Parts: sequence; C-alpha cells; structure tokens
Amino acid sequence: MIKSLVHSLRIYLAEAWLSYHGRFAITSPFGYIASKLGFPFFLMLFFIYLGKFVGFTNPLYIVIGNVLLIPAANGLNGVNLAIADERQWGTLSYVLGSPAPRLPIFMGRALFYILDGFITALLGLGIAALIFHLDLSKVNFWMLVLCIFLIAITSSGLGFLFGSISLVSRDGWMILTTFVSALYILVGVNFPVESLPPMLQPVAYGLPLTRGIMAARLALQGAGWGVIGHLVTGEVLVGAIYILIGYLSFHLIEKRSMASGTLDEM
Amino acid sequence: MKRLRWGLIKRQVAVQVQVITLNLYSLGLFVIQPAVFTAVGMLLSHAAGNAMPDLVYNVIGGGIMGMWSGLVFTSTFDIVDDRRTGVLEFIVGSPTSLATVEAIRTLTNVIAGLLSLSVAFIAALAIFGYSLKNVNFWGAGVSLLLLLFAMWCIGVFLANFLAWSRMSGTFVDYLEMPVAFLCGFMYPIRILPVWLQILSGILPIRWALQAMDESLLGNRDLAFLITHWAVSIGISLIFLGITSWLQVKVHDNIRVSGELSSI
Repeated sequence: MIKSLVHSLRIYLAEAWLSYHGRFAITSPFGYIASKLGFPFFLMLFFIYLGKFVGFTNPLYIVIGNVLLIPAANGLNGVNLAIADERQWGTLSYVLGSPAPRLPIFMGRALFYILDGFITALLGLGIAALIFHLDLSKVNFWMLVLCIFLIAITSSGLGFLFGSISLVSRDGWMILTTFVSALYILVGVNFPVESLPPMLQPVAYGLPLTRGIMAARLALQGAGWGVIGHLVTGEVLVGAIYILIGYLSFHLIEKRSMASGTLDEM
Repeated sequence: MKRLRWGLIKRQVAVQVQVITLNLYSLGLFVIQPAVFTAVGMLLSHAAGNAMPDLVYNVIGGGIMGMWSGLVFTSTFDIVDDRRTGVLEFIVGSPTSLATVEAIRTLTNVIAGLLSLSVAFIAALAIFGYSLKNVNFWGAGVSLLLLLFAMWCIGVFLANFLAWSRMSGTFVDYLEMPVAFLCGFMYPIRILPVWLQILSGILPIRWALQAMDESLLGNRDLAFLITHWAVSIGISLIFLGITSWLQVKVHDNIRVSGELSSI
C-alpha cells in the first residue's frame, strides 16, 4: 500500500516537473516574464483607461481584479497546453499506452502551474501596490494568500476540462481563448457581478473564480473567515466539481480512443 | 511583368483568404474577441451609471481592436506555421521574395480585419441606433484608408522580425495590448498622461485612428484632419523605409547562416 502510494507520488512529482520544464525550458527570460506579467499588466492598463473614460470611478477595483486573474490565466492556459500539446506533438499515444496510473499523470500537470500562478499573482499584487498605491494597511494577509492559492487551484480544474476538450477538438485553443476572454466579463474582474445582466449572473456563480475573487477582495479590506468563509467554501465546491469533470472527461476520452483506435485522427 | 505580379497577388490573396476562413481561430480574433472588449466597455459604462455606452469608442472601438488583434496574430501565426511546417525555407528559396509574399499576406490580413469593423459598425447602427447625421463621411473614409495603410506598414515591419528569429516572435506576440493601450482603441487618447500621448506618437495607427474617431464624432476641422493624416502617412513611410532596409539584412542573415528553420 505504502509502496504504491510512494510510486504514485513519484510519478506525480516527475510528471509535474517534466510538464512544466518541457514548456518553459526553451523560453527566453523575456518571453517568460512577458507571458507572466507583461500581457496582464497592459490589459489592466487598457481596462483602467477604458473605465476612466466611461466614468467608472474605482480604478483600483480593476487593478485588483486583473491581478487576481493572473493565477487563473496561468492555471487555465498552462494546464490546458500541458494536456493538449500531447496531441499536437504526437505523444498522446505514449502517455495512454504507458502502464502508469492516470490520476498522478493527469493531476501532476497542474502542480507547477498552480504554484507559478500563485507566486506570480503575489508578485503582481506587490507591483500593483507600488505603482497604484494600493492601501494594504487593513489587509488580512493569510486570508488573501488562501484566496489566491484557491483561485490558482480551482482555475486548474477549468484547465483540465479545456485540456480534455483539446484532445478531441482541433479548435480547443480557440475555445479556450474565447472562454478566457469571457472571464473579463463574467467573474467580477473589471466590475461587480451585480452589474451583469440578470441572465448572466447565474452563469457567473456557476464558474470557479467568481467567489474566490470576491473573497480575495474582501480579504484585502481586512475581512476574516467569518465574512468570507461561505465564499471560500463555495469556491472549493465549484472548483472540485470542475476538476472532477475534467478528470472524468480525460478518462472517457482515453477509453473511447482505446476502443476505437482513432487516437491520432481525433 | 505587371500581369505576372497581378497574378501573384490574386493567387496569394486567395490562399490567404482560405487560410483565414478555414481557421476557426479567425472567428475568435475578428468577431468574438472584439465583441468581448465591447461588452466590457458597455458593462463598465453601465456600472458607472451611464444609460448608453459611447458608440464611437466603446462599440466601433471594439472593431478596431479586432482589426489589430487579427493583424498581429494572423501575421504571427503565418510565419510560425511556415517555420514549423518547413514552408518558410521554400518561400525564402523561391524567386518571389519573402518581402513580397509577406506584403500581400499582410494586406489580406488587414483587409480581413475590416470584418471586425463592419460588424461593430453594423451593431452600432442596428442595435444601438447610432446616428450618422453628424458624421464627417469623407473625413472618416480617408482616415480609414490611412488606418489600413498604417496597419499594413506595421504588419510588414513586424513580419520581418518573425522571419529573422523565433525569439523576436515572442516579442511580437505581446505587442497586442501595449499598442491597443497606447493608441486609444477604445478611449480618446487625451485621457492618457501627456508622456504616454507623446510616446504613442511614434505609431502611425494612433494618428489615423484619432482622425477617424473625430470624423465619426462630426469634426470637420480640415487643419486638424490634414495634420493627423500627414503625420500618419509620414510615420507609416518611415516604418516602410526601415522595413525595406531590414529586409535586406534579414535575407542576408538567413541565407548566410543557413539556419532558417532553427533560428
């Protein structure tokens, strides 16, 4: 039993490292930093000035929302690519043909993207605090850390789901980028969820990140577990559902491909 | 000779149009992404208590965003795909120069971007009841032509970097938002700090776009428009000049090193 657990843990960690290393080892430092902070920074500036033009008087709302979206973008894009690239580079058949247990192989792909997104968001928050003079005097630091870490984890559930979609569709990347764009509207990044049309609000609450971002905003204002506990619990539940759906989708695709033998045609 | 060139243009445009239309990603770039940016602008406007969004900047501006994103990413992916599939070597080795192929491709991509603008414009007219009563039509038309020219000049300029090195492609990928932010695609440039307005002056798109937005808002000040058009043409030609100089360097570099597929 213990031997089996150690074996799975070893596969999990090896998979985590190889998956992350394989993606970023050939990236230049410029490309790495630009992908982590460059795009979100300029996107944030764009939304800030868009908000300023239309008379949205709380630019810090946009700043905080966009910083909190960093781990989500990392989890979504990174995990999705870690899975979808197997198909693109023709290595999926080796993965599915190997005797290694699927759970650590699948889950391991998210580990470093979660840690990376978490650290990048903390770094982004520090930079934003310096540039935009965020008032961090009241912040409940450990609750904020918990919320950011949670956002990074729950968004990886979406990454698993879209990664699985990428295995069966050649347009997986397009579907993902469209979805990521929709997050600018749906999860309360640039304006409160209450500003959405009523029909979109249930959609927002059905997604991971919405409650996590709300909880993180409250933690920045000093709120403790008593205030944000229900949001954190809701975020955990929604995130767990997406991770489960992502894993089951992967499992289903694997079974289907084994039965039909059409793995490379998908 | 002229007929041969025209034939080349027709064939290259036809191929490029097929590449764009058969790729679902183009739909995302030219239609969905601009719609999302427009929606963010409208919802921010709603959250700020406005009854109606600003049609020129929030709605039609979203179309400009789509034109730019489409240009940056289709041109980027063209070269990246050529490199990955080994076609780049054939293009460089063919009698038609890489520069000519890239110029025609970029032209097609720029014109395809008009789809974004058209969708945004139709949405402004049909959904939001945008009035054309005060629009300076000829001013907007000339500005649009110069905007397309400016985008084409920037597009061929960037294509050279991509052919030169895959690492520079990383840099080009991240130009989408800085340029959108600096040129004021969805807000007037005057709301930026003065130093950013000065910085944005190096981009010809900024001048043509400012003239177009003002024309759509009814500005008929000829001196203002001519100044902006002249600056836009001047900077576009400077980009074109640098591109011509760079093309020779890029061609020499990739032929001498012989490492086109690996650089």
